[in-house]
This record gives sequence, structure tokens and C-alpha cells, in this order.
Amino acid sequence: MSSLSTTELELAELLIGALNLEGRDAAATDPEAPLFGDHERGWGLDSIDALEIALAIQQRYGVELRSEDEATKRAFASVRGLAAHVASLRKG
Amino acid sequence: MLALIHDYRPQAPLLWLEGAPVSQAAFLAAARQLASELPDAAREVLPLAANRAGFMLAFAAALLRNKPCLLPPAGHPAALASLRAAHPSAMVLSDQPAQCTAPGDHCLRLAFDLPDWTGPVPELPATQLAAIAYTSGSTGAPQPNAKTWAMLIATARLAMDRFGQGLHIAATVPAQHMYGLETTVMMALAGGGIADAGQPFFPQDVRATLEALPAPRMLVTTPVHLRALVAAAPALPELKLLLSATAPLPLALAQDAEARFNAPLFEIYGCTEAGSIATRRPVADPRWRLYPELKLETLAAGSFLHADYLPDPVPLADEVECLDGEHFRLLGRSAELIKVAGKRIALAELTQTLLGIAGVEDGVVLLPEADEATAVNQRPAALVVAPGLSEAQLLAALAARLDPVFLPRPLKKVAALPRNAVGKLPRAALLELLHG
Repeated sequence: MSSLSTTELELAELLIGALNLEGRDAAATDPEAPLFGDHERGWGLDSIDALEIALAIQQRYGVELRSEDEATKRAFASVRGLAAHVASLRKG
Repeated sequence: MLALIHDYRPQAPLLWLEGAPVSQAAFLAAARQLASELPDAAREVLPLAANRAGFMLAFAAALLRNKPCLLPPAGHPAALASLRAAHPSAMVLSDQPAQCTAPGDHCLRLAFDLPDWTGPVPELPATQLAAIAYTSGSTGAPQPNAKTWAMLIATARLAMDRFGQGLHIAATVPAQHMYGLETTVMMALAGGGIADAGQPFFPQDVRATLEALPAPRMLVTTPVHLRALVAAAPALPELKLLLSATAPLPLALAQDAEARFNAPLFEIYGCTEAGSIATRRPVADPRWRLYPELKLETLAAGSFLHADYLPDPVPLADEVECLDGEHFRLLGRSAELIKVAGKRIALAELTQTLLGIAGVEDGVVLLPEADEATAVNQRPAALVVAPGLSEAQLLAALAARLDPVFLPRPLKKVAALPRNAVGKLPRAALLELLHG
């Protein structure tokens, strides 16, 4: 497990709050664990969660996600991917 | 006989694909070509295309070859596998190569570049079996519902009479769900509408899809997406109307949506067994208004819907109160059914699934929301006694057996369930354990 950057930790905390994932410790997040499907190693999230995540990200960072672009699909692979995507949207 | 495309006008648009119209004649040319390629051996078609134009091509081609389309109860691999086991002679038609796994499956070519069809519009027998729609059912195995071509056309005509013709329709719901089939695919084939091929997901996707469509525009969606749309508040182009179904819509959300998007919001009430049967505009009138010529009958055994196009009266899953010949009120669910993202399942079935996992000694699935009738997202929670398993292992085992939207959250391991003297589980004690 690679270490968590400050922005990744912040994003993990945002996800845990927005999705009511009580019992999950943001600081113990594996930044490369899959967000969807995998319950043993990953977060086990689904499409409704993706909608909630997009909303939380828009409210916190002021950036809007689109599903048509391939970058968003890659971004939703992990906390690391999502943090990098949000950072690039904020710059852009 | 009933036409494949009602009020056929060859050059009028039938659907909208990536910002450009596809004419009715161009669509028929592609559908006839695909129909000619379907093997005789495939008795049914499983149209899995995510793109609505791909679904419509598969649906029309299957109709032209008198092969019913199977509408799965859910899209996860286990549901598709059990559907294929129940229909071994079905072929998949999809635009995604990963879904075309069996030898007879066919990957769709999403193009409308053939010369326009110049003949008359094809006609189908009214009694032709057009679709077999599966509900998740309240007692276990998915229940098939036979839909004749006449039944599908009837509801599209009723919706057209209520909402108007010439609507350009964007939808966040898939065509494989009865609500999506009726409000997009069938509205285009028989309800005078033009369906967009996409299925926008995030609020900004919805905005982009609607912007690419001409007026008048209709957005077909669900409470979950509507809540995200109101919260994200994208600048949508002018809408003629918004449509919501699949789960109860809180009145405040309906009011916010109408104010935000400056368009009337209608809810549709229906079920897989009968299709859409009533509508309402909650900000104006809380009563449901039946489509014309439908009749509700309330007996001791429950409420039944009568319609000319239904072979038998259909029992409703909800308890209703008839107010007059045209209006009714919903009193609540007859069974403890929960709905998430348009899918429904009985809590008892979820509990049974949980108890079926090796290593689970006791467990219960419940709805923690206090006011379940108005909760947009009826996510269930679970309490489990399973000393040898972790919460992640339990969720993984459930994920293999259930649609992901029904996975309990939180799923909490406990030492014992608070069963009372007769073995029942008092709700207050469960909630205390869940939140404690």
C-alpha cells in the first residue's frame, strides 16, 4: 500500500462523509484501492454513490464531472485517480 | 396489425444520435438489415446495448423476426447469467464486445448509413410477443411478464395523449427497464416522440444532452438523479416537462425541481406487470390520475387494474384508495418492498440472502430511514452475527448474489440480535444496535 497524500486524505474524508461510510478510517485508505465493485480490497461503491461523489466534489472544489470523457472513467478507478482528476480540473 | 413506427413519416426524425437526427426511413433500413442477420436458432433476443439507438435497433430487428426481447431484472452478471440459463436459446445483441460472450451473440454496428428504406412501414400482429420483462419479484425468483406489441403501443399512445407529441426525450434511465422502455423507445416508435440515444449520468451530462436536442424537450429521470440535478443546478435549456418514476418523490424535491428548471414535473405510476397507468403533478395535486379508459377495482384481496389491452386484471403491489373514477391515492406498500434506483426487492428476500451465506449464524436487513415513504434513497442496513467472517467478506459474499444498490450500508457485525421472547426483532432495539 502506497502512502496517502494530503489531497488524497482530504478526498477520502469527503467520500466517507458524503456516503455515510461509518467505520471506515480515512487515514487507513489505500489510495489505489478500487472504488467500485470490489468489497474485500476496495470500497465496494456503486453508480448511485458516483452521483453523490460528483455532487460532493462539485460542492467542495467547484469542479463538475462528466461521464462521457475517458478521463472521468479512469479517475473513478481509485482515490488517487479521483484526486488527480479533480486537481487537473481545478487547474484547467 | 400494428405498425412498427406509428404515423410513419419516412423523413421525420425517430431518434437523436450524438447531436444529429436519424430519420424513420434510415432507422428502418438499419433495423431490416440487422433483422436479416439474426440467426433462426436464436428464439429470443437479449438487447444489452447501453446506447439507446443500439437498443432500438436490436428491439426493432427482434420484432421484425418475431423474437421477443428479454428485459433483465438487473444488469449485474449474476442476473444476466440466470436469465441466460432460463433462456438458453436467447442471443445477446449489444454495442459492447465484452457482453457478446456466447457463440450466437452479435455485436451491433451503430451506424445509419444504408440507403433509406423506401417501402411501406412494416406491420406486426397486435398479439405478437414483443418483450418479456422480468421483475425482481418479492418472493425470490424473477417473475417474467409477457408484453404484446399491442400492450406496449397502448401505453405509449396514452402517454402521448397526456404529455403531447413531438417531444425530444433525454433520459437518465436505461431502455432495458420498463419505465425507460415506455418513456423513450416506445414514445419514439408509437408516441410521436424523438428519443436521444444517450443515457446521461452526471448533472453536466444531462445538460450537454439536452443542449444538443431541439425544443420541445422532455427529461425522463428518477428521484435519485433529480436530487443530484437540483443540488448541482446546471443551466439547462428550456424544458417542456420533467418526468420522474421508480420511487416516491418527496414533495419538496418536486417543488425545488420545478422552480429550478422552470418546467412542470410529472410522476408516473406503474408496475412491470401493467406498465404505466397513472400520472400526477405533485406540486399541483397529490392525487394520481389514471390514464383514460383504465379502471381500478378494490377488493378484499387488494386493488386490481382493468384495461382493454391487458388480458387479465393486474393486482397492484400498493394499497390504493379510489377517490373517483379517475383519481386515486397510494396508501403504502402491501409488502415490505424497498426500491433503490428503480429496482425493488423485499426486505425478507434480502434477509434470506444474508442468512444463506456460509458462516452467518443470524442476521436481519432493515430500512433505517424513519420516514421510508419520502426517502429518496432507501438504502437498507444489516445487522449480522457471523463470528468467523469480516464485514468486507460478508459484503463480498452479498455482492455476488445481489444487485449492488441493495447492498446493506452499514453492514454491522454484532454478537447477537435483540430477539424478544417470541423470537421477533423489535425495530427500536434494532435501530439502537445499528446506531449504538
